[in-house]
Amino acid sequence: MALIEIKNLKKRYNDEAAETPALDGVSLEIKEGEFVAIMGPSGSGKSTLLHILGFLDQPSSGVYKFDDKNINSYTDEEAAKVRNQKMGFIFQAFNLLPKTTVLDNVKLPLVYSGVKESEWEAIATKAVEAVGLGHRMYHEPSQLSGGEKQRVAIARALVNNPKVIFADEPTGNLDSKSGGAVMEIIQKLNEEQGRTVILITHETYTAEHAQRIITLRDGQIEKDKQTDHRHKAGEFVK
Amino acid sequence: MNLLYTFRIAIIGLKTNKSRTVLTILGIVIGITSIILVMSLGRGAQNLILGQVQGIGSKTIAIAPGKQPKSPTDFASLFADSLKERDLESLKQKNNVPTLDKIMPIVFGSESATFENITYRPTIWGATSLFAIIYNVYPTEGENLSEDDVKSYSDVVVIGNKVKEELFNGGEAVGKKIKIKGRNFRVIGVLPQTGQVSFVNFDSAVVMPYTTAQQYIFGIKYFHRIVVQADSEANVEQTVADIKTTLRNNHNITDPDKDDFFVETQADAVKTVSTITSVLTLFLAAVAAISLLVGGVGIMNIMLVSVTERTREIGLRKALGATNGDILKQFLVESVILTTTGGLIGIALGSLLSLLISVILTKTLGQSWPFSVPLSSVLLGVGVSAIIGMIFGIYPARQASIKNPIEALRYE
Repeated sequence: MALIEIKNLKKRYNDEAAETPALDGVSLEIKEGEFVAIMGPSGSGKSTLLHILGFLDQPSSGVYKFDDKNINSYTDEEAAKVRNQKMGFIFQAFNLLPKTTVLDNVKLPLVYSGVKESEWEAIATKAVEAVGLGHRMYHEPSQLSGGEKQRVAIARALVNNPKVIFADEPTGNLDSKSGGAVMEIIQKLNEEQGRTVILITHETYTAEHAQRIITLRDGQIEKDKQTDHRHKAGEFVK
Repeated sequence: MNLLYTFRIAIIGLKTNKSRTVLTILGIVIGITSIILVMSLGRGAQNLILGQVQGIGSKTIAIAPGKQPKSPTDFASLFADSLKERDLESLKQKNNVPTLDKIMPIVFGSESATFENITYRPTIWGATSLFAIIYNVYPTEGENLSEDDVKSYSDVVVIGNKVKEELFNGGEAVGKKIKIKGRNFRVIGVLPQTGQVSFVNFDSAVVMPYTTAQQYIFGIKYFHRIVVQADSEANVEQTVADIKTTLRNNHNITDPDKDDFFVETQADAVKTVSTITSVLTLFLAAVAAISLLVGGVGIMNIMLVSVTERTREIGLRKALGATNGDILKQFLVESVILTTTGGLIGIALGSLLSLLISVILTKTLGQSWPFSVPLSSVLLGVGVSAIIGMIFGIYPARQASIKNPIEALRYE
């Protein structure tokens, strides 16, 4: 059974005068445990697709089933709960809260979960250690390097043990060394923990960490194929 | 998301922008401070005035000539001449007003008094010896007026403390003669310092037999007031009724609407005074409420700025699982914390200022100004500030909560 199933998905922004919609009839399935990269030039609709898949935006028309349930049948509260419990987000711009420690940043998803406050500390500490930042626990984002910030964001994405990770150009703001470290962690999440990963990138070498690469152009799927020469975890060329 | 955590987040949010937080609170502080100050001082004034009114006892009844004033422009009655010696005699008769215990006519006015080369302008009181009992003020030097002084139109006076100081420069006064309207009066007594007693300040008064005052000072044959004391509080109402009947008989009045006199009891006076001060306090509180409104709009303004500034944070929280309700709560709690903190500071500041003012007034007025912060004003202050936080916080909080997460995340 597919974790994600979309059929003829369209998205048109109200304030957009452009002729072509952001998404123009996209259909695809993503199984649980897959590592999929979505590629395409800017304006191809890849970010829009990711946002809809991540429940951050609504399609204009078409069907989107997550966990076999249609997106339209989720209330706002239920959608928030899915984002909180089943999805993890990694953004290009990191989006950490300023003037807030690494530990407290990682705790953030726990705040909106049903987890008891007494357990937050232990869970968040474990997640921070898992991305190798145990020594940065009480630093604020302004004291961290770009690569470290993105690892904090990964720890935050993992803290509620989600099924699927959405990564929106996670290496876009990083140099090749820290980008490589980030991609290594993301690939291990897929290979060792069996999490579904959906990654957006415009860089072929980053996309080649995935099993499958979907290429978008003008809101439609141009190519959808398995990766020929997949990188191993830790192998990052730039 | 539990409430305690919401509070902590709100406080962190407020801490990250300290100067803005302080300035926002200031608006509420000013509003609440003025409300507390006004209500506290209003209560103080009310207590002081009521204390004065009650000072001469609740058995006391005042009869004034003319129609009862219904509006501030009705002061013409002050010059009415309907109360005469004949009325005094009728009222004194036991079968007319059986519950009457004491009765004293009063005439008053301002005149210059001279001793050697010093002139001072005291209030001249024409009364009887009973004034000491009714107003509870007895001469500490010399003696009081006597019934004989009244009967024989004696040229004797009892003077107030201030009059003595002004005319005699602190020296001996009893036995000396002062000149009023070209006539010599012998000082027979000096009153102690009293301050205001029931709107009368005996410190600057010269008290003489009313017969003398009528004849030689004012040249009139009527009274400005007749003061009556009933034999008990329970009989005040009966006494008032009997007085009215007697006076109407004397003046041939059948229609009570055409009364050329009016009777006021202490209970009436207390009621009138508390109504006036309450209305005044309420009015001032309403003025203070306007400044609160301004403070509230300030809160709304600042919260809207804060919502815009933290658009990305809102988007992030939503992406991580915050519901609209969570975001609404977060911002609402922030504004309520702002206003309630302002409210508490305002209450403290208002009480302090009120205490300070009461100390200063006590010193300058020479009488104790009672300090009190009414509980109602404290509750009002806290309640109003919290409600202002709610009302003016709800719009910005709602703006925050309905932000589309992805647009919020993209916001630069």
